[in-house]
Amino acid sequence: MADETKLTRRGFVKGAGLAVGAAALLEGADGTQKHGRSRTLGPSPVEISLRVNGVDRRVLVEPRATLVSVLRDQLHLTGTKIGCDRGACGACTVMLADAPVASCMTFALDAAGRPVTTIEGLAQGEQLAPLQAAFVAHDALQCGFCTPGMVMSCHALLRRNARPDEAEVRTAIAGNICRCGTYPKVFEAALAAGATAAASAGAPQGELPARAAAPSAAGKAGNVSPVVGGTAETDAGKAQDDGAGLQARTFQVGLAGALAARERKTPASEPPPWDGSARLSVVGQKVPRIDGPEKVTGRARYCFDVQLPGMLHAALVRSPWAHARVRSVDVGAAAKMPGVQATYVVERVLGPAQMKVAAKAGERYPRIRYEGSPVAAVAALTAVQAEDAARAVRVEYEVLPHVADIDDARRQGAPLVFEAPVEQASTAGGGGAAHGVPQRGNVRGPVVGGNGLDVEAALARSEVRLEQEYRTEVQTHSAIETHGVVADWSDAGVTLYASTQGIHTVQDEIATLFGLPKSKVRVICEFTGGGFGAKFGAGNYGVIATHLSRKAKRPVRLFLDRRSEHLAVGNRPSSIQRLRLGASKDGTLQAIDLKAFGSAGCAAGAGCAGPVKNLYPAVAVRSEENDVFLHTGPAAAFRAPGHPQGAFALEQAIDELAAKLGIDPIDLRDRNDAHPARREERRVGREKFGWSELRRRRDQGTVQRGVGFAQGLWYNFDGGVASAEVLIHDDGSIDCRSGVADIGGGIRTACAQVVAEVLGVRPRDVNVHVGDTALPEGPASGGSKTTEMLTPAVRLAAERAKAALGSAAAGDVRAAARRSGRTVRGFATRARDYAGWQDGDPYTATIGGGQFVEVEVDVETGIVRVVRALAVHDCGRPVNRLAIESQINGGILQGVSYALHERRVIDRGTGRMLNADLENYRIAGARDAPRIEAIVIDHFRGRSNTDVSGIGEPATVPTCAAIANAVAHATGVRVRSLPITPARVLAALKGGGA
Amino acid sequence: MKAFSWVEPEDLGAAIAAGARRGALFKAGGVDVQDRLKEHLDEPAALVNLGRLRGLDFVRVEGGTLRLGPLVTLATLASDPAIGKEAPALAEAAAGAATPQIRSAATLGGNLAQRPRCWYFRKEEFHCRRKGGDECFAIDGQNEMHAVFDNDLCAIVHPSAAATALTALSASLVLQGPEGSRTVAIDDFFVRPEKEITRENVLGPGELIVEVRVPAGRRSRYVKLIEKQSFDWPLAEAAVAVDGEPRVVLGAAAPVPWRSAEAEALVRGKRIDEALAAAAADAAVRGARPLQYNEYKVPLLRAAVKRALLAAGGSA
Repeated sequence: MADETKLTRRGFVKGAGLAVGAAALLEGADGTQKHGRSRTLGPSPVEISLRVNGVDRRVLVEPRATLVSVLRDQLHLTGTKIGCDRGACGACTVMLADAPVASCMTFALDAAGRPVTTIEGLAQGEQLAPLQAAFVAHDALQCGFCTPGMVMSCHALLRRNARPDEAEVRTAIAGNICRCGTYPKVFEAALAAGATAAASAGAPQGELPARAAAPSAAGKAGNVSPVVGGTAETDAGKAQDDGAGLQARTFQVGLAGALAARERKTPASEPPPWDGSARLSVVGQKVPRIDGPEKVTGRARYCFDVQLPGMLHAALVRSPWAHARVRSVDVGAAAKMPGVQATYVVERVLGPAQMKVAAKAGERYPRIRYEGSPVAAVAALTAVQAEDAARAVRVEYEVLPHVADIDDARRQGAPLVFEAPVEQASTAGGGGAAHGVPQRGNVRGPVVGGNGLDVEAALARSEVRLEQEYRTEVQTHSAIETHGVVADWSDAGVTLYASTQGIHTVQDEIATLFGLPKSKVRVICEFTGGGFGAKFGAGNYGVIATHLSRKAKRPVRLFLDRRSEHLAVGNRPSSIQRLRLGASKDGTLQAIDLKAFGSAGCAAGAGCAGPVKNLYPAVAVRSEENDVFLHTGPAAAFRAPGHPQGAFALEQAIDELAAKLGIDPIDLRDRNDAHPARREERRVGREKFGWSELRRRRDQGTVQRGVGFAQGLWYNFDGGVASAEVLIHDDGSIDCRSGVADIGGGIRTACAQVVAEVLGVRPRDVNVHVGDTALPEGPASGGSKTTEMLTPAVRLAAERAKAALGSAAAGDVRAAARRSGRTVRGFATRARDYAGWQDGDPYTATIGGGQFVEVEVDVETGIVRVVRALAVHDCGRPVNRLAIESQINGGILQGVSYALHERRVIDRGTGRMLNADLENYRIAGARDAPRIEAIVIDHFRGRSNTDVSGIGEPATVPTCAAIANAVAHATGVRVRSLPITPARVLAALKGGGA
Repeated sequence: MKAFSWVEPEDLGAAIAAGARRGALFKAGGVDVQDRLKEHLDEPAALVNLGRLRGLDFVRVEGGTLRLGPLVTLATLASDPAIGKEAPALAEAAAGAATPQIRSAATLGGNLAQRPRCWYFRKEEFHCRRKGGDECFAIDGQNEMHAVFDNDLCAIVHPSAAATALTALSASLVLQGPEGSRTVAIDDFFVRPEKEITRENVLGPGELIVEVRVPAGRRSRYVKLIEKQSFDWPLAEAAVAVDGEPRVVLGAAAPVPWRSAEAEALVRGKRIDEALAAAAADAAVRGARPLQYNEYKVPLLRAAVKRALLAAGGSA
């Protein structure tokens, strides 16, 4: 003690960071000093000064406070994000003095007295910095949640190296994970910004449009009514929306350049369709996102960033056991901890399959069926108080035997995940499982599919046969914005700011669970930081936060930490697929037979037969899908559910069959797959890629290159509601409103393009409002159907608004609105009756694409690198070619990551996930991104008045299979298990199989 | 993270005095410490901040010795021209470690003293031998990232890339503690599990690395093999110094940087060519005893050694 001087926070000198305080000059107790003294701060809060973006800010912080928590929670600079809280994802990157640092791994006290620059410090007022403008112009962002960190890392690079090359950019952002996979465009943006800066010495470019009025953060006012004085509604077409009247129209359909006239009956209420002959000037162009400026400046407010007056922070108590009965939960001590305002004990766990018979008497709490299952929660004034209190909750578990391995679970006598038959209801995000399926032990199935013909007979008469087993592992969604909500309960109803893909589905679930009318549940989500299929329902976290808010009578914020995100909110199921193919000598497929087992953890829905059932019309097709239950977290829909797994097996098997037949693998596909778009995609890609030449190449050295191809499909879903409203105000300004969530696909911009096309204005002239259940109901964002579903409604709404202006609108719509002195409105719902739009051709019901990849395999180490990818896809009529490229890049990046790295590692002994982080759970980064070329084939089918389809899912379906095929081409051996790790490549090379 | 008090020492002596007290934990860049505190592996009463001590981030070449302060960051190790010239293996090791953000903050001293990254050790729920428990969960568990040498009691690999490089470079460390200062050869700095399982190095309570001394100008190289090219822990690493008394060191292979006397003997005084490098690489992995899931590491370590030797080139 002699050499220390205890300081109170009042005694700590302010204003100069950690400059020596007067109290520190006191002598030690013994009056002698061999060395200097130490000053002790805390553990209670101390006042420090932080210089942030050039402004000195005084804050009171505990020594344990991280810099990012102080920036966000105390200084309200929420542009800096938290993705992993362990320095592994880069979302929290800020500049500390001249160096980029992870602010989640920096103590606030470490930053005292040193200049901090955050994303908010880059733009000069409304002027974007050149780097930010380049990010927008090159579409170097998708969901945008990682973008501030990405921009900061590029900013740090450009400060020390004004003209970097691409390799330097890749290295500079190697610590920033973008789950949307947008790296290639970040390279472009950083290089362009470097060039710009060098050319013009940093003259600011770009502009930051004034923010459209957002729903108020504190808004309990209910509906934000857009209807202003003088509004004239034109609902003339409404009656016909119900499909009453149909009208024959002639369409130009087919691939661009090879159109053919087709007659269809369409709803009379619809405008003439944009068919293949339509000449559009905005739709189909490359348009930088209209919300880009908000995302590159950190102004975009994700639900993660919502901070309401009086808001509490919640923390969860999670089970450390994979299988247990909860005997007791004691929140008494926790409730008395500092700052604690409410506690909650979980009564029901959403996600797992449900047994048809009720749980046995005597189980007071929900059975624990996976590590990380929520047990209780606390809400406190600060996040650290909540965490402290959560650790004080006492839970007594009766630990039960578990099974966490799919092979173990199928054995006789394995611990049962469910003691009785279960069903899995589908959720808004899809998923679910067939009903009334047999269940034995931990296996539920089979669900049988196919064309009903005799596959054994077809195999018997096949001249060439192939039988192989393929395996894929569990992949977690790993959106950088974790799941979470801010729930705000009041007598008037509850408002949830939910990080979601489906605001209406969250509304439905909360209304049902809490017995509220939907009119009293409002869900808001302006921006979603990635979802990939896992963010649809209210989630356990949403329900818990709502309970806590109701109890505490204050808003409650509950966002999952990275570990819970891996454990508890979904994943892509594993698969074991035994596949048999039969063909005649000329390559005609006779039989496809799949027997699949897969695990969605303690949920059902691990099917993967989509490709087998839909890609190749063999004579006989049969599939059997079985769910294997494990004591692991429930799966959720994940970007093209079942399809990457299915493609991994089928598309490798097709290549293996081609080798047996001595036929080029693409020729074999041409022989069997007549889909016009895919045929064209193979033709175009083959030529552009240099397939035939590269296929002949053989390397001799340590690093062997190979090329591979695979293809995939996805569906045009028609279900669900999609409505929109377009207003042309009396001042000439334009609103487009629809309750859809923006998850990074760029739906705002697509809507703006459609409105701009109809009204003859620029996309940026259209204010697009999304993400609020107070708006007209939009589709849930997922299934590659968001743009497909919404753009026809938006177009019709815009047409109606324009019509409401009458003949005056023929010229300048905005001038006409100003002259008219009234605000006009058009509302529309996507027409329900599409029967007349379809021509019975099954090919118009799917979208898809083919991908070519080139890999380098180091045969000494087994390390695989994907160096090049060429993707050719169709998505009907492309709306924004820039955003489509970004989604294709992202699909490929996720596919690369899935193919080579991603794997949930479970400790068999305890059932615990060992890599529930972003460090040992490997996600491909900037240095893993291949050079990507994306080509989009325009394919007009006349499926709606815009004829648009999606791109999100198909873009990631074939990648892993193409990589596997390329590895086989490079090495001559096949790796039939994902991920294709060095261990597996080496084992295959050694002949040990993999 | 449990609450703690923060000790800001005025100088090194004050830091040592504060760090020697019960419940105190040193923190330099704070990267590893944050991780451990957040996971509740450590719950110190006081964190002794070394980050603001002056004069400990020096890089000097004096009398054939590269002298490095413990607060030199990995970013500096990777980019300082003097280090690149005098100790290329160290510069390469630092350049390949972690992420740019972490390299900005992480220090040489902290890197050498960091705790293992074993995914069992890093979880509060696993009370393993290294935490005073009586079991190593990795030996019979998921051990793909674990040791292939010296893995009988505890299968961690030493996490520091700098340690691998500095072992190849025959560095020595100047330590200072309450009892005074001592100089320790890097070979004697790291502690094998059979000697003491709950620590990775010889640092006593309150003892700090105050300087790292590296014989300057050795021909040295470092090779790291990673599955993912953006921020990944090594599957295998090797560092070699080939002129004078050669050294061949494996990283990500054992609980401590793992020298191969056999490989060193093979290359001593010889001109390194493909055949000799391959023979030395074979020798370096002889005696490896892989666990259930990490046999693949053996060929990777072999490749790393061979590549490092060939890159260093010339005669040993």
